[in-house]
This record gives sequence, C-alpha cells and structure tokens, in this order.
Amino acid sequence: MLQGTLIYGFINSVVLMLVALGFSVTFGISGVANFAYGALYVMAGYLSWLGLHSLGLPYWLAAPGAVAITAGVAAMIYWFILLRVRGLVVSEVIATFGMGLAILELFRYLGFIGFEYTLPPLIDASVMIGDTYVDAQRLCIVGAGILLAAFLWFFTHYTKTGLAFRGIAQDERTALTLGINADKVAAWSVAFGAGYAALAALVILPLGTIAVNEGYNVLVNALAVCIVGGLGSTVGIIVASFLIGFAQILTATYLETSWMMLVSLVAILAILVIKPSGLFGHQKQLEERI
Amino acid sequence: MSEKTILQAQDLSKNFGGVKAVDGVSFSLRRNEVLGVIGPNGSGKTTLANLITGFVKPSRGKVIFDGKNITGMAPYKVADLGIARSFQMVKPFYQLPAFKNLNVALLSPRLRRLSGGRFGDRDAMAKDLLEEVGFERDSWVITHQAASLPHGYLKRLELAKCMALQPEIIVLDELFSGLSLAEVASMVPVIEKLVAQGKTLVMIEHRLKELFRIADRVIVLNFGQKIAEGVPAEVMEDPQVRGAYLGSEAEE
Repeated sequence: MLQGTLIYGFINSVVLMLVALGFSVTFGISGVANFAYGALYVMAGYLSWLGLHSLGLPYWLAAPGAVAITAGVAAMIYWFILLRVRGLVVSEVIATFGMGLAILELFRYLGFIGFEYTLPPLIDASVMIGDTYVDAQRLCIVGAGILLAAFLWFFTHYTKTGLAFRGIAQDERTALTLGINADKVAAWSVAFGAGYAALAALVILPLGTIAVNEGYNVLVNALAVCIVGGLGSTVGIIVASFLIGFAQILTATYLETSWMMLVSLVAILAILVIKPSGLFGHQKQLEERI
Repeated sequence: MSEKTILQAQDLSKNFGGVKAVDGVSFSLRRNEVLGVIGPNGSGKTTLANLITGFVKPSRGKVIFDGKNITGMAPYKVADLGIARSFQMVKPFYQLPAFKNLNVALLSPRLRRLSGGRFGDRDAMAKDLLEEVGFERDSWVITHQAASLPHGYLKRLELAKCMALQPEIIVLDELFSGLSLAEVASMVPVIEKLVAQGKTLVMIEHRLKELFRIADRVIVLNFGQKIAEGVPAEVMEDPQVRGAYLGSEAEE
C-alpha cells in the first residue's frame, strides 16, 4: 500500500505540475493572472473531441489542432480584451474570470455533458511497478510533465524569444527601452500558457471524462500550486506540486477521496497566512531592493 | 529644422491632474551635441525624458526626431528608431547575469536590422560593451546575477545597455546620482568617448561640475518651464537660474 501511495503520489504531483506550469508561465512573463485558464484547459479537451468525433479527424491532426486553436483563442483574449485593461490588476482578473465563465458555461449550455466525452489514451495498456498496477497513460503523463518542464527551462534559457520573455518578466520598462514590444510578448505568453494547458489536458483528460466542472477544479489546483510555490517561480511550482500532490494522495488513501480538493484549498489558506509571497516567491525581495 | 538638428521638442507640455509637470518646453538638439538638462527636484526633468522616449504621452506639443513626428509613439518604437534611455532608479534585469542583460538588447529588432540579420557572437559583443564601460572582461562580476552587483556597477550596466542599442541619441537620467567622486570620474571618459563616436546625448544631471565638463549646452527647468538655455558658463550667470536652482542649493 505504501508503494502504491508513493507511485500515485508522484503521478498526482506531476499532474498538478502540468496543470500549473501554463498558469505560472503566463503570470511570470506578463504578470497576467489568467483566470480563464481552467476554461481553456477544458476547451482544448472538447475541441480535440470534436475534431475526433464530429470531423472524423485522425488523432495526430485533432490533438495539435486543438492545442493551436486554444492558444489562438488565448492570444485573442489578450489582444481584444486584456490589452484594454492592462495594468489594472482587478480588471484583468475580472475580465479573464468572466471569459472563463463564458467559455465553460457555453459548453454546458450546448449540452457537452455526459460520459461519452472522453479522449483516447496515448497508449492503452497497463504495467506492473513492483506490485502496483499503473496504466500506461499515467506514465505518459509523467513523461509529458518532465518533457514540458524541461522544454520550458530550455526555451527560457537558451532561445532568443525566451530571453525576451525573461526580460519582460523582470522589468517591462527596461525591456521597452530596448525596443521590445511588451504587448506582443505578453500576448505570446498568454498563448504559450494556454498551449501548455491544452497539452496538459490532452494527456490528463483520458483518465476521466471531459466535464465543464473540470475547468473549475483545474483553476483551483493551478492557483493552489502557484500560490504555495510562489507565482512565477518554476522551482516553486515543482516543489509545491509535490507537496500538494502527495498531501492529496495521502488524504485520499487514509481519509476520504472526496477531501482531495480540500487539500488545495487548505494549502492556499495556510500559505497566505504564513508566507503570502509563496515558498519561492521573489517579487517581495525585488521590491525591497528598489 | 536645420540639417544638423536631430531632435526637436515643440511646446511640450504634460499635466498630471492639476499639476503642470512640464509646461510649454521647446528646445532643439543638434547631432553630436551633449545637452544638459538641469533644475531643482520636481522641476520636470524626468517627465521631459519620459515625454521624449514615449513613456508619457504629452498633453500638448510635439517631438520631432530626425524629421519624423514621434509624439506619443510607444516606447519600444522610439527605442527601435534609435533613442535609448537610462533610468534614474537603475532598472536592470536583476535575475540575469550582467552580460545577459545586454544580450536582450543585442537581440532587439533594431540590432537585427543594423547587423543585417548576422548577430555574430553576442556573448562576446556583450563583454566588449561591458569592457567599454569599465568592467574587467575576465572578472567573475559580469557572470553574476545583476541583483548581486553594487549600485555603481549597475549604473555602468545601465549605460552599456543604452550603448548596446547602437542608438542615435542617448537620454541619460541622472547617470551620476549615487556614485562616488571616483566612480563619476571614471565614467566621464566613457561619455566623452561616446561623444567622440558621434553620439548625441541628453543628460539630466544634478552633478553640475561633472556635467559642465561634458555638456555643450544646458537648459534649465523650474516648475516645468524652461527658464534658461545656453552654454554652461552663461547659464550659471543668469539671475533667474541662480535664484531658482543654485539659490536653493546654496541654502542647503
């Protein structure tokens, strides 16, 4: 049982990390807290389902298509809505949250409810690790999590666009003086984050059904990880994912499965009381320097 | 506008609520000139820099750069056209190593254009620039996070960042503030070299002695208005300037 708890705790942690990476990347670069994040995640799921079942597309077309459209929608949300309220944090939150509600409730209104809304697993098999059964899809999730985190690191540290992203993230004003178009980079960052959400959706959603409520859960989990880890800090995201991920699985194993969501909420509350900037948040220190 | 004029401010004004931060300021800047902007605290110097570089949109007036109206243009576009600026409060990318700070500038669309798409070895270019402003090329300093550098180094980094853009004009907002006498003394030759290379500079300064050594011409602001303009020695004789600016300094 302990072995199973460890394995599933690890997998659950990677799921949380996958879900939080996109939210964190957008916030880290452009300071936009994208509350439509959960909705974009679910949208990617439905789009890819529509591609597969309504349009009859093969998986290799439907899945990347869904990712691209989701990223495109996110970029448009930035360009047509967020650009107008840029810098007004409360308005940004209301605008993205409103968009998220609109997207999610539209799917509900259109009748996207039921068990038929599922995505196929990448590999339909299961393996034994020690004496615990693990289905291959969960291993795919772990693989995808490691790949996406590694790609993010490589991208921000070794590419031109990545360096511009980090520049904007660290000081938008200075980036502007160097001729970098901050709004264009911010739009990219929102699209990039949404693309990450879509990729996460494609590997995680095959474990269950695509449901509107999943959008709210994903947003809560992403927020919990980012708040506990410190917004914008990649190391923080990884550490917080594992803290909350294992806490959730331990709760499910030894207490009640239905309490899993509570763990995220309690984690948010606890960190806000103890260390509001998060475990690895560095915004505070920087402000003090200046 | 004469052929030598590179920048012209016409009746530039900015109101913040009821406060006239800059009030009808006009001046022109000749190519390869060093223009000093002085005045007491709150006289509108930084707002003037912000108006020129696009960080603040003017309430009235125009900015003409190289025959082109750039009034109210976005800051990144102004930078792209060739006006670099530094900030009074240093604004490096704190979590990048010093030389990587310059890489961001070296990747800008302007540099891509100027170099014809051939960037070459950016790390080496960044290190060249840092050497020009007085960093030791092989020291550990340039590979450390900017956050760990002392103020004097960050000021140099700020200047190097402006230079990296290969601009026509550099607007320096109190580059010398917070530096020791020795540090300023070591910066002056760097500025003189820039002038020798044909750059045009606008220097907002409180350190008058050093400024006057470099500046060809000075304009004096007080309560947002230009109260004097001329060569440094002349301006200092102006009774209005003495009253507004030097008078207040003498009292301190």
